[in-house]
Amino acid sequence: MKRLYYTLGKNKFWEYLLCAAFLLIFYGPLVNMVLVSFAEKYEYPNVVPATYGFKWWNYVFSNGKLVESILVSLALAVVVTLLSLVVCLPAAYALARYDFKGRSLVRLSFLFTNAFPKMGIYTAMAVIFYKIGLMGTFFGVVLVHIVNTMMFMVWIPSGSFRTVHIQQEESARDVGASALRTFFMITLPMAKPGIIVAALYTFLGSMEEAQGSLLIGLPNVHTMPSELYGIIMSFPDTAGAVFAIVLLVPSVVLMIVFRKYLSASALSNGLKM
Amino acid sequence: MTQQKQHKWLPYIMVLPAFSIMLCVVVLPVINTVVKSFCTTDGAFTLDNYLYFFKSRESFESFVFTLVVSLSVMALSVVLSFLLALYLRFSKGPVSRLLGKLYLLPRFMPGIAAVYAVMNVIKDAGLIHRILLAFGIQYQPGLIYDIKGIILCNLWFSVPFSAMLLSAALSSVNDSYIESARDCGCSAWNILKTIILPLTYKDIIVSATFILMGQIGSFTIPYLTGPNNPKMLGILLYQQTSTYMDYQRAAALSVLMFLICLGGAVVYIRANMREDVWENTSLHTAKKKISRRTAQGTRWGALTKSKVGESHV
Repeated sequence: MKRLYYTLGKNKFWEYLLCAAFLLIFYGPLVNMVLVSFAEKYEYPNVVPATYGFKWWNYVFSNGKLVESILVSLALAVVVTLLSLVVCLPAAYALARYDFKGRSLVRLSFLFTNAFPKMGIYTAMAVIFYKIGLMGTFFGVVLVHIVNTMMFMVWIPSGSFRTVHIQQEESARDVGASALRTFFMITLPMAKPGIIVAALYTFLGSMEEAQGSLLIGLPNVHTMPSELYGIIMSFPDTAGAVFAIVLLVPSVVLMIVFRKYLSASALSNGLKM
Repeated sequence: MTQQKQHKWLPYIMVLPAFSIMLCVVVLPVINTVVKSFCTTDGAFTLDNYLYFFKSRESFESFVFTLVVSLSVMALSVVLSFLLALYLRFSKGPVSRLLGKLYLLPRFMPGIAAVYAVMNVIKDAGLIHRILLAFGIQYQPGLIYDIKGIILCNLWFSVPFSAMLLSAALSSVNDSYIESARDCGCSAWNILKTIILPLTYKDIIVSATFILMGQIGSFTIPYLTGPNNPKMLGILLYQQTSTYMDYQRAAALSVLMFLICLGGAVVYIRANMREDVWENTSLHTAKKKISRRTAQGTRWGALTKSKVGESHV
């Protein structure tokens, strides 16, 4: 250790130490979970599994109910994200560009609804949904997921639209582009980072939402996270690990695909007023 | 004329779909909840639902517990993420670039899966215990089903989130401010205190309020890693609805939790309202201080020179 300290120099040494600690804390648990998921035999005092295999993967994928919940969750997340984009982007654009009466009220109303505890909303929502026949339906769960992440879906793209200079839009209009064309050719590409961060947020929110889907979706709609609660409580560690990885994969894949657009400033622009 | 008229209504039409969904699916249920919280099961007016939570010892402890957890997660994650963001901003080596890419991932992971992964490491028969056992040390972390477990798991999520916000804020701090301050002999601590903190103050408040608001109603992490008693308010609310089926009390509890979050929201709004004032004054004072320092420096330099000159003579 001492030798390492002197070969690397003081600053480098601490830098590497920090990096190691960061990786251990944030990525150690994930690596461990991947290892455990491929374990065939993983008994108490062993640090790593004794033998590896696909036993629990086979188990999860041969269980019809679990496979169904995976498909339902994926379909939900995709539908929720697309629908949310369609509904929220116009609102985000209006909040960023037009100075209309009640603008800050509309903007803040998203914050206030986000501040109300979710469980309280769900139970009251359930009463209304029951009256109009949305209980236990796919669409009912879609609505729940959309309103859950609506604040981010409006605020973050709105922050990005604000950073697009109005002169750029105006010059496109001046050379004869229509309003819609200007939006799709100029504004949208420039606001892309914010929109992608928001869409990822929504997708993720839909993938991890459990209480609302459980309350509104029962008995017809089973999603992955609500199944996972049961699995964590009643199955061995290995089955839970497999299922948790299945739940992780879509968001990790999306992260890698869109990593170029993932910017901290897009998120921060959106959350400030 | 038509153009103008179109413009006048256009923003409302654009906001309408999102706003009406929110109105029907969230605001109406919320109003319903607030009304219900003041009612008995027969529909008569009462305050008992609220008084219950202040009278019963168990729920009072839960309030305190939730506040302790939320505030400590908030403070810890702001401090840790600020340090992380500072490091990412001012260190330009390959390690910092690597971390700059890797720190985003945890925030974009489904909470329950990540909590499960962390649980497998920190629980009493988990990885830490097993690794130490392999070296012959009998040690049980005792983290899970305890306040430490909740805080630790929450930090896992909130540190990357707030580091994201703070590193965006720090990237807007110009290198030239810091260099000029350093040229005048400003110490690292003074640079942090008089230049960086005032410039990022607002973002610190934003990230702190969002963390706090997320904590008050959180369910997944305390449900899986928290103790049975006292419990977080999110769990208490869940039990009131699904176990005891006492919707009036649950409604009252929701309103109480909302009021706590509202406190955070007010701080957030006030900090944002001051936006321009803050940025102007902070830059202004920083510049003023620097100029004063430089003035002092030159005077000191002149003084020593003249002294040297005198002694030579």
